[in-house]
Amino acid sequence: MYTVEETIEVAVPVRTAYNQWTQFKGFPGFMTVVKKVVQVRPALLTWTLGFGPVHREFQIEIVEQEPDSHLTWQGLGRRPVHRGEVSFRPGTAGGTAVTVRIEIGSRGATGVFGGLPRLAGRVVRTELTHFKEYVEGLGAESGAWRGVIRDGRVRPREPKPDRSRAAHWPVG
Amino acid sequence: MKKAPGDEPNEALTVSSPKKWAAGVPAVVHALEYSLEETSPVRTGETLLTMNQVGGIDCPGCAWADPAPGHRHRNEYCENGAKHINDEATSRRVTPDFFRTHTVSELARRSDQWLNQQGRLTEPVVKRPGSDFYEPISWHDAFGLLAGELKSLDSPDEAVFYTSGRASNEAAFLLQLFARALGTNNLPDCSNLCHESSGFALHETLGTGKGTVSLDDLHHADLIFVVGQNPGSNHPRQLSALEQAKRNGARIIAVNPLPEAGLLRFKNPQKPRGLIGKGTQIADRFLQIRNGGDLALFQGINRLLLEAEDARPGRVLAHDFIRSDTKGFEEFAAHVRTVGWDDILAATGLTREEIEQVRDEVLRSERVIVCWAMGITQHKHAVPTIREMVNFLLLRGNVGRAGTGACPVRGHSNVQGDRTMGIWEQMPDDFLDALQEEFGFDPPRAHGLDSVNAIRAMREGRVKFFLALAGNFVRAAPDSEITEEAMRGCRLTAHISTKLNRSHTVCGETALILPTLGRTERDVQADGEQFVTVENSMSEVHTSHGRLRPSSPLLLSEISILCRLARHTLGDGVGDIPWDRFEADYGVIRDSISRIVPGLHDFNRRVTRPGGIQLPNAVNEGVYHNDVGKALFTANAFEMPRAPEGHLLLQTLRSHDQWNTVPYTADDRYRGIRGSRRVVLVNPEDVSALGLAEGQYVDLVGVWDDDTERRAEGFRVVPYPTARGCAAAYYPETNVLVPLDSVADKSNQPTSKGIVVRLEPAAAPVPAAAGS
Repeated sequence: MYTVEETIEVAVPVRTAYNQWTQFKGFPGFMTVVKKVVQVRPALLTWTLGFGPVHREFQIEIVEQEPDSHLTWQGLGRRPVHRGEVSFRPGTAGGTAVTVRIEIGSRGATGVFGGLPRLAGRVVRTELTHFKEYVEGLGAESGAWRGVIRDGRVRPREPKPDRSRAAHWPVG
Repeated sequence: MKKAPGDEPNEALTVSSPKKWAAGVPAVVHALEYSLEETSPVRTGETLLTMNQVGGIDCPGCAWADPAPGHRHRNEYCENGAKHINDEATSRRVTPDFFRTHTVSELARRSDQWLNQQGRLTEPVVKRPGSDFYEPISWHDAFGLLAGELKSLDSPDEAVFYTSGRASNEAAFLLQLFARALGTNNLPDCSNLCHESSGFALHETLGTGKGTVSLDDLHHADLIFVVGQNPGSNHPRQLSALEQAKRNGARIIAVNPLPEAGLLRFKNPQKPRGLIGKGTQIADRFLQIRNGGDLALFQGINRLLLEAEDARPGRVLAHDFIRSDTKGFEEFAAHVRTVGWDDILAATGLTREEIEQVRDEVLRSERVIVCWAMGITQHKHAVPTIREMVNFLLLRGNVGRAGTGACPVRGHSNVQGDRTMGIWEQMPDDFLDALQEEFGFDPPRAHGLDSVNAIRAMREGRVKFFLALAGNFVRAAPDSEITEEAMRGCRLTAHISTKLNRSHTVCGETALILPTLGRTERDVQADGEQFVTVENSMSEVHTSHGRLRPSSPLLLSEISILCRLARHTLGDGVGDIPWDRFEADYGVIRDSISRIVPGLHDFNRRVTRPGGIQLPNAVNEGVYHNDVGKALFTANAFEMPRAPEGHLLLQTLRSHDQWNTVPYTADDRYRGIRGSRRVVLVNPEDVSALGLAEGQYVDLVGVWDDDTERRAEGFRVVPYPTARGCAAAYYPETNVLVPLDSVADKSNQPTSKGIVVRLEPAAAPVPAAAGS
């Protein structure tokens, strides 16, 4: 197990940076290693990373998510776990300091570069740079999920979602 | 392809040891064998290679979810799915000649298997009052006859519209729309007979009528309970998900009166290790429970968890979750501590040590899922049992997180979707308001009839018109003789069907068979080729595209039949309903659905994406749409089914070579039964204790608190490792023993897994004829 930690300053407000980060499914559009993200539910995602000819798919659970502050996740599955956190703090001149910290097991998050700490650090740094370029280029978030997750469980929003969002009658 | 059989199957019963594993090479062989008996290699290839693929045919069998696009096998089906789809794609045909040579009375003496094997229906036929023959009728005249009968009723509530789980979302939506435009909520469905208890219990406790898990949750659970279900025969693809969970480190506890092969070991025919290796052990722990002992089991586990919390305060229960998300914990806890161990052990037939071992497994697990099926739902105390399983999940916060939740496993491909579309006799006002806004008529608000109440109403003459959208109602329903008497009392019965079944032979004064396209067949309408949609057990809505040439040019789609019937019956008189447009372009139906059914906005665009639409489940967003707005703990009075001395508790069940009410053969490979379905499986010690002998003929005689004698004749006794005091026999042959009034509390679901019977020695066998 080792830890990778990288911080980058992006020139957009915390809310904008955070909101853009919640748009996981769009990550493959501007990142290079992230090939596909499927959001099964707000707290359950399938990521596919690719590095050269090697691809690796894994699922993660978002354990904590607090708007404009941070989110933490952990890998699901039998293989050595990985866990991570991304935090958003006010930076200089109205910008945001985005810090990604990942603890990776020996075959860790990706299996692609999990056993290579320096490579893993470089990948995280590069992808953060891609995020910076993308969100600064947009100037405003392209979407947002403002929900809260605690202990892997989505917390109800206030006011609670309209009951008409899902069929609520008994199904035999 | 073999020709349709002329004679009834007549094989001798042979019994061998039950199998200890499911699937593997024999599953592949049997699937192909049956398929090639029914149709050509080319059609078999067309159906199997597109089955459950993106843009292909959805298996009309069970409702198990498909893996995500990109993760499906080239052969993404199971043995029973293959048999089922080629049973529909059969090249055999029922022609007008067939009906000229067979009277209705004669057909009524035929077995379910023989009727099914005659092949696909090809043109509409009618049985006129006083006649004993079906004769051809044009579609126009058939609709005129139906419309005339409907218009002649004193009240729309004299009509009943039944739906089977095969019907597509679009057809189901139109059927409920037609019934409500006509003025009735009499919409019984097969859900009333299978998972109604799940819907009631989950709705009351979690505010959702559906399960809360996805395939991904199963793959990442630490511990999975498989309770009261037989996945090896009834949902074989579930075994692939369980196998993957096992490979991810999950443990599985199977709870069932019978040690079913699929619960024990699975040889995945999609994998080399499944073809040549030992396969994957499924259940790490098998609890052989008595029929209906599941409420007691979960009360025992819950009591042990509370006591574990007493011993290690703050370290066992999910206190934060219980505080923030639930209600009723104190009342539940106080009650469950009073449930006595003597009762728990008597009801379950298990030892306390076995239940304590389950507790230990639970305490080692962070993510737990409970799966269940009809072994739970078809008991008088089914709703409290499921509520107690929810209590169990809530205690350690096992809902709303990845790898956790409630998983009712549904047995028919669109049974869940039909209910989402409004096939329910008690639809809430917000749905009816949306119908009114969309179509400009005021739907009836008084609740209608479910399946059991529809039979009662037909029997009492309060219902005179019965129309079934697919299914085989008289064989699916309980109390066969009473149900048949009720059907025969109707003025008109009509069935929209693909194949012949007993419901066509037990008919009203006038009867119609309206042959329809199967899901495998191309559906071309005025605006071009159409597809339909279905919803699986995990709330994923996706498309199904028929591929085969229709069995007859005279077949109409279910949607065409309903639209034309509606036009003939309602004319322009009710609301602003574009029946013509609906029939020409099913996308127009989906547009209306998108404005009425929650979660299906932008239906047409989203459903055509690979994988379709995942309907939202509020529980996974921390929201509980029940009366209390929280996940509800409930205090459930202890209850267990009891059989007097000299009696047994019978459960009815399917064989492996059977799809719902239709046996494909007389074999049940995994249980070692061949050649006959008239067998009763009894624990060897009970066989001795009752003074019976292996192979002896007995009559099964039901015991119920009315004066009706319910007798199923001529069954052979097969000593079998079922739980003591319990017995099992196949339905629909034993539905005759299920009293119409023996229903689950609250859900009104027949109690087909908890029938008290005695076994009376019988002198001679009877012919294996349906309903005889």
